Amino acid sequence: MIKKILIVDDSPIARKIMKTCLPKDRGYEISEATNGQEGIDKYLSVKPDLTFMDLTMPKLDGYKATEEIKKIDKNAMIVAATADIQPKSLERIMALGAFTVLKKPPRKSSLEEILDKVEKQLTEK
Amino acid sequence: MIFSQIFDMVNVGIVILDKDYNVFKWNRWLEARSKIPSEKIIGKSIFEFFPELNKSWFHRSFKTVMSFGNFSFFSQKLHSYFFPFKASNALDSKFEYMQQSCTMGPIRDKNNAIEYVYIMVQDVTEIAAYEQKLVELNTEDGLTGIYNRRYLEKKIEEEFARHQRYARPFSVVMADIDFFKKINDTYGHQCGDFVLQEFTKTISASIRKVDIFARYGGEEFCLLLPETPGKAAELVAENLRDIVEKSSYRYGDTDIRFTVSLGISELSDGVESAKELLTRADMALYKAKKSGRNKVVLH
Amino acid sequence: MTLFSDEEKDILQEVMNIAFGNATADLAEVIDIFVVLTVPQIQVMKISELPTYFEKNIHGFERIWKLDQEFWGDFSGSGFLIFPEQIGKSLVELFGTGDLDPTENNPFDSLEKEILLEVGNILVGACVGKIAELLDTRVTYSPPIASQGECSNFARLVENYDSDQTAIIMKTVFEFENHNISGLLFFITSQDSIEWLKKSLYDYLESFDE
Repeated sequence: MIKKILIVDDSPIARKIMKTCLPKDRGYEISEATNGQEGIDKYLSVKPDLTFMDLTMPKLDGYKATEEIKKIDKNAMIVAATADIQPKSLERIMALGAFTVLKKPPRKSSLEEILDKVEKQLTEK
Repeated sequence: MIFSQIFDMVNVGIVILDKDYNVFKWNRWLEARSKIPSEKIIGKSIFEFFPELNKSWFHRSFKTVMSFGNFSFFSQKLHSYFFPFKASNALDSKFEYMQQSCTMGPIRDKNNAIEYVYIMVQDVTEIAAYEQKLVELNTEDGLTGIYNRRYLEKKIEEEFARHQRYARPFSVVMADIDFFKKINDTYGHQCGDFVLQEFTKTISASIRKVDIFARYGGEEFCLLLPETPGKAAELVAENLRDIVEKSSYRYGDTDIRFTVSLGISELSDGVESAKELLTRADMALYKAKKSGRNKVVLH
Repeated sequence: MTLFSDEEKDILQEVMNIAFGNATADLAEVIDIFVVLTVPQIQVMKISELPTYFEKNIHGFERIWKLDQEFWGDFSGSGFLIFPEQIGKSLVELFGTGDLDPTENNPFDSLEKEILLEVGNILVGACVGKIAELLDTRVTYSPPIASQGECSNFARLVENYDSDQTAIIMKTVFEFENHNISGLLFFITSQDSIEWLKKSLYDYLESFDE
């Protein structure tokens, strides 16, 4: 069951949009981080069930943050959120251990689809 | 109503394609030039009628217009034409087909989604013909009709840079008609001009389309051979020498025969500039003259 | 410059991030070349400050190719593409081979210019097109104009603009990966579209709640 969600994105607007698009009736506890490093720290302190990771961020980008988190916790459920969904970028982030990719801008429907997919994966485990 | 009338009245060709390249609209201008009535082409793939458009650049532009809604511009300079229509008002130009300048752009539905792509075709044959005339005046040698020295010097720089960049073989041949002064002195200057003209005709008929043949000055000529190493250039030059030696030209009631000396240089590691390549060819030509004329020498 | 509130700037930045990201992905598909566009840097300034801005941002280039293309609509302005002159040749190798033969119909230099026009048209069209799509409007374009020369006199770049006007500058570095081709892409948004832009930024934000 997804309960805690971490949103890692340097743009306050991107985080706001993401929160707007998440279903309100499921009682998610949402935490936020503004760069990759903060994302890793928050991941350790919050232990989220699902992390949305932006890829282009200052300090530490989403690729490196994903790699680091996966090193610490190989079961970490990370969904990369990016506007650049060309195959080469996708290949790279999937190889680093992301579960799937959410195309930016998110829509309620596309987010719901991903939440279902993650939920299914979590119960199978 | 109004717009569909204008669609058929304007002096440009307009074709509208759906996302699968099928013709949706075909205006009267295009009907008239292509001799294809719209009822025959509508609903069919444009490639069925114009297979020459089925190329990667066309698909690339079509796809960008479909996904970004931008416009694509196709100049006559790069593409010459989209649709092969016979040129009608082409002065005395060399254009067999109507020269066209084309634009491609999106047509959207109410929801702003791109449903169709239009292509607009403008006839620019006349402008292109004038431009061509100007270029000719600027690049041709008046007497012989082959390229002049100015053009050659520009061209050799370009070809040198290109071949050097791609590390491709490239050779330059300098040619000089033997004892030209004697021809002038014996038969007169008009005969000298006649010899220069006949000589260029003979050479022009024996070289490739990609080779560049120019009058360098007086009775001296230069030939650029792209994609050709020195050894192959030597064979080319030897062939030209042989043809000239065996030719005879009728001037009035005399048969005139003459020979030519040729010097060759090739692009190699030591050659730093186009100018040096020319100098080397000139030096080889000097050697050919010194060693008795009617000869080919490779630097 | 207090023309935009912090929130408006944040929305603008995010819209551009998404627009340029989407443009990158679509470019890769459409032209089949891996393109990298950096996150756009956005600045608001007076047109009169632009020459100095260009001078600061374009350095290390001796001779440049410059391409500009105007676009109109609710969202209007110009796109500028600038790269070092010698890169034109590599672009021809990348785009020009295939159907078009540089030796037959076209002298090499005019081919280079035409390819540049095509590439510029695609890059500007991709970015502007995506911005327009996100903000739910449509734009039309004039044909791009290419020129080459010494990298100086930046005042000429903006001589058609009213120097008192305010412009939004977006700068991105694009790169065709594995081909060692990179350049700068600037967008100048005209003052007329600023009011419209402010409104549509909020409309954009609200659209997610539907």
